[in-house]
Amino acid sequence: MELIATLKLIELGDEIDVLSSDKGSAMDIPAWVEKVKHEMVGIDQEGDFWHIVVKKMK
Amino acid sequence: MSSPPLFILLCSGEHEKIQMAAMTASVAAVSDRAVEVFVSMNALAVFRKDVEGQRYSGGEFSKVMQQRNVPDAIELFGQGKMLGEMKVYACSMAMDVAGIEIEDLVEDLVDDAGGLTKFLADAESGQLIVF
Repeated sequence: MELIATLKLIELGDEIDVLSSDKGSAMDIPAWVEKVKHEMVGIDQEGDFWHIVVKKMK
Repeated sequence: MSSPPLFILLCSGEHEKIQMAAMTASVAAVSDRAVEVFVSMNALAVFRKDVEGQRYSGGEFSKVMQQRNVPDAIELFGQGKMLGEMKVYACSMAMDVAGIEIEDLVEDLVDDAGGLTKFLADAESGQLIVF
């Protein structure tokens, strides 16, 4: 929800790097991004955390 | 192609079911899906503005959720409404029976009182889930 709220505030083409300790987010965020037609830039696991980078497309 | 709207019939007063309904409604709403929620029976009291004591009661999982501070169900519905397209209706029959007025329910969340007949007719255009 924080990602979605933040996406509303940023400019088109801007990217957000979500830092999450939740494995579910690493699966759910890409699914959501595809559904609502934003763009996944990348997803990396770093220790217990995931970096999930999303680009605002609309 | 836009997704068919989602209709949620929420009757249970059980925390687990209300939480699941809140998650389903908010995720659908922020995924470009219109959502209508119809609140009736034991669920209605959970949407009261002023709740004496704890708002949620349920089983084992409810206890775990309250210890772990999961996002509050009423707030989740609110976020879905704010970030997506969601309408919440309180069942006019249940309000009558329980003596609850629209002013008694959480502000900016419950849009209006509504009837089951209208809700069911609207739900023909989409998918209906019952909690």
